[in-house]
Parts: sequence; C-alpha cells; structure tokens
Amino acid sequence: MFKAEQIYFEYTQTAEEDSAPANYVALNGVDAEIQKGEFVAVVGRNGSGKSTFAKHLNALLSPTSGTLWVNGAATSKEENIWQVRKSTGMVFQNPDNQIIASVVEEDVAFGPENLGVEPGEIRRRVDGSLAAVRMADFAKAAPHILSGGQKQRVAIAGVLAMRPDCIVFDEATAMLDPLGRSEVLETVAALNGEGITIILITHFMEEVVIANRVFVMNEGVIEMDGSPREIFGQSKKLRELGLDVPHMTALAHELADLGVPVSRGVLTVGEMLFELTAALKL
Amino acid sequence: MILAAENLTHIYQRGTVFEKKALDGITMSVPKGAFAGVIGHTGSGKSTLIQHFNALLEPTSGKVWLDGEDLFAADKKKRKRLREKVGLVFQYPEHQLFETTVQKDIAFGPQNMGLSSDEVSRRVAEALEWVGLPKEAAQLSPFELSGGQKRRAAIAGVLAMKPEVLILDEPTAGLDPRGKNEILGQIKKMHESAGNTVILVSHGMDDVARLADIIFVMNNGRIEFSGSPAEVFREADKLAKIGLAVPQVYLLLRELIKRGADLPQNIFTAEAAAQAIKKLYEH
Repeated sequence: MFKAEQIYFEYTQTAEEDSAPANYVALNGVDAEIQKGEFVAVVGRNGSGKSTFAKHLNALLSPTSGTLWVNGAATSKEENIWQVRKSTGMVFQNPDNQIIASVVEEDVAFGPENLGVEPGEIRRRVDGSLAAVRMADFAKAAPHILSGGQKQRVAIAGVLAMRPDCIVFDEATAMLDPLGRSEVLETVAALNGEGITIILITHFMEEVVIANRVFVMNEGVIEMDGSPREIFGQSKKLRELGLDVPHMTALAHELADLGVPVSRGVLTVGEMLFELTAALKL
Repeated sequence: MILAAENLTHIYQRGTVFEKKALDGITMSVPKGAFAGVIGHTGSGKSTLIQHFNALLEPTSGKVWLDGEDLFAADKKKRKRLREKVGLVFQYPEHQLFETTVQKDIAFGPQNMGLSSDEVSRRVAEALEWVGLPKEAAQLSPFELSGGQKRRAAIAGVLAMKPEVLILDEPTAGLDPRGKNEILGQIKKMHESAGNTVILVSHGMDDVARLADIIFVMNNGRIEFSGSPAEVFREADKLAKIGLAVPQVYLLLRELIKRGADLPQNIFTAEAAAQAIKKLYEH
C-alpha cells in the first residue's frame, strides 16, 4: 500500500523582518513499508514528525527528497495526486473543523459529489457509511447537536463515502471524552476488520494496544517498528524517547522487578488479571 | 471554604429557540487548599461552570462565593479584586499567546494587577521555573517554542498572578506522555509548596484519580455526585452510564478482590498497586 524510501521534509519559514529564515527538518530519512490491511499506530513526542509523515500519505505534503509510493504511484508526481488522495482519507483532531454542511448526510455526501459519483450511488454510499459508523439515526440531524465522538464518526463516514483503501487518523481522539474515544476506536477497529488500512497517530498508549504494528517516531525518523508487545516490552527505551507504556504494562514491569512472576508483555487489564490469577493462585 | 456555588444555573441564549440550560442548580464547595478534580463528558457543563468562578460568565440565577464574598453581588472594584484570586487556564491556552516575547506575555497579567516592575520580573522568573522552562526562553518569541513549551508559557502567564485558586481546563490535551507528566507533576509540586487551591478539569481519569483529593462528577449541568477518588470510582457502573471510565488500576484491583484477593481497593497508581500485590504474593 505504502512504500517510503528515505523521505526528507523541510519546512521553510518565511523570513520575518530582521530574523533570519529558519528551516526546520521534520522528516529526516523515513523508510517504511506498509501492506494493505495493516493497522499501524504511530507514536512519538510532539514535534517528532508524526503529522508531517501522515500528511505525506495522502500527498498533502510532498517529500523535499526521497520518494513515497502509494499503491505504486509516486506522490511527488503531479498526475498521481488525484489517485493518491482518493485512496487515502484523513481524519483530523478537531471535530469542529471537519464538518462543513448543515445536515449530517449532506456532509457525508460532499466527498463523493466532488468525485462526480452518480446520485443513486451517492445515496447508497452515504447510507452505508453512516451505518458503518453507527450514525444512521442522525442522517437528518444538524451537526452542531452532536457530541465530539459523534462528530468524529460523521467525519469518518465522510471519508468512507469516498471508498478509500486507507484512513489516517491524526490524533482524532485527542479532544474527546472517554466515551467518545471508545466510540471512535471501536469504529476504527471495525473498519480495519473490513480490510481498510489504518494509520492511527496518537498520544494515548492504551489506544496503541489494538494496532498490529507500531511505529515510534523520534526526531524525524522511525526509531522503532514492531508489534505493540515488542515495543512496550522496551519501556526504558520508550521513556528515553519521552513516551510511556500502557498502565497495565507499567504495572507488569513494576511487579516483575519486585519478583512477582508476571510477563512484562502484558498490555490490558484482562491479560493482567489472567497473569495475577495464576501468580496469586486465586 | 475558598470557593462555592449555590444553586447556580446558567441558560445560554435565553428566550430564543436555541435556549440551552447548561448549568442546572449547581451547589458545591471546594475547601481551601484542596486539589479538586472535575470530570464529566463533553457538554456536561464543566467549562460553563468554571467560567463563573472568575466572573467571565454571569449566572442566570444562583450565587458564587469566593473567599467568603458573594462574587456577583460585589461592586465593580471589589469584583475585580476577587477575580484576581482566581487564575483560569483555558483549553489550548497557547492560542492566546500574543506578545512578542515570552517574558512580556507572562508579565502581562502581573502588570495589570498594578505590581511594581521589580515584583513583575521576580514573578516572571518564578513562573518560568514552576513550569520548567529555561531562563533563556524568556527572550524568545512565543512562536519559536515547541507545542509543549508554548503550553507551559501560557500556563506560566496565569501562575505569575499567583492565584489563590488555580483552575485548569484540560491542561494536557494534545501533549505527549512526557510533556503531560511533567506539567501535571509541576502543578502538583506547586500546589504542595504554595498551598493554593487547584481545580483540574480533565478527561484523564487516571490523572484525576492520582492527583485529586476531591472529585466532582458532572452530568447534564448538574453535580451527579462527588467525593474522594475512592468514593467516586466505587460508582463504576454509574460512571459508565454517563460516559465516563474508571482508572485501569482501580478496575484490576476490583476484579482481583472479586476473585478473593485480599487487596485494598483504594489505590490508583501502578507503583502503589505493585507494592500491595507483592505483599500479598509473598504472604
């Protein structure tokens, strides 16, 4: 689906009055290959290059040097951009900045309308997309009455209606309350189950657990690449990179250090319960 | 008692078709020197409530008591003095940075309070230290700072006014884990050394459980219930019904206790839980 080869990206700041023009290298040689149907979580400190990388995946940004191929098409070629944007959809952080129409179903129809899809097919896509995010009951509602989690699901439906192969979530749960977050995550997992490639950028380590692969970014490169269990097994290195491990993994490390026989690879409450039931002979 | 609301009601756009009762008869009190948490789903009224505490919003009915005085009965001059006791850090406060240097931005509040320039400089230096920004950052433009540093600079601007009551609305939203832990750690440290009252509005149940000594749970413009973290999270089912979660460590201990483990329920951090489980294991 994606292949990145040594991509570099430099933001150029326009010079203000007396200050010297400052350039900022956001991506410093990213190599990565992502297969169709994968669920990749991307974590890293603020400023590590996560969002810049994400914006390359649908050609919102084009590498300063290096190449990114989306389904075999290089994003740096002008003639490929249309195809790339159709195959990769994005959902952003702020639920209030992504909805433009005054009725939910019109908002979802906006994408396919712009693609020139015929009306009958638009209807089918809108209904199907709203059903997929469990928002069909709100098709005629005004977006402003929705909760944050509901708005984000409408934004996801709008992307789905364009029939993408991949959806990139750029901190799409950062502004939501716990219920909104779990609504969105359930939707994300279900879409992945249907074969859509997922790229999930997040600061919540608990969300990473549901991915099948994790990229840890640091200073513009992918510093670590592995399954959640492999990545969170290296808690010391993660902390050095300014990150953390899920609460239950932190507890597992504490317990193992204290001599209680539990696996350091524990990620969830369920797994910890299983380990402790055995260790404590409950 | 430093801060209290009495039957506080707020209706937005009253008399129009958009009329919305955001606060519905809130009665609550925050003891002086407390670290209070306010939790509730989006739209439950949290932000509306805290904006009454420094008179940014006026109640439709009801009262706010600040340090024993009725905030909205006070005349203009007195109200200004009362408002200075309350520092409010909004969501994404870095959007409100506006000065040409970090130093000037932080100094804006204390200057408006009429403090001498020596005192203002002292406060700026102190505030920078509290939020963990290096001295050199003072001369930079706020826009040269990273996201996490901007957030710190914005919080420093409120801290420099040394408010008796510090209110923070989701102060760590969008920050990476280290940035989040550092900012919360510094707020806690400042609370412990200065003895000020802190009100933390947050969706991070683990953070609220770990930091707060009293928690207010909001739902539909009301205080659904309140109490110590142990008292509040005991109501896990009620919390789930109104869209809130229970800290994971709490959840784990509850399940272990259900299975017969002799463990305390009143624990919210991995470190403390590990110690308790180790004791039981060695027993």
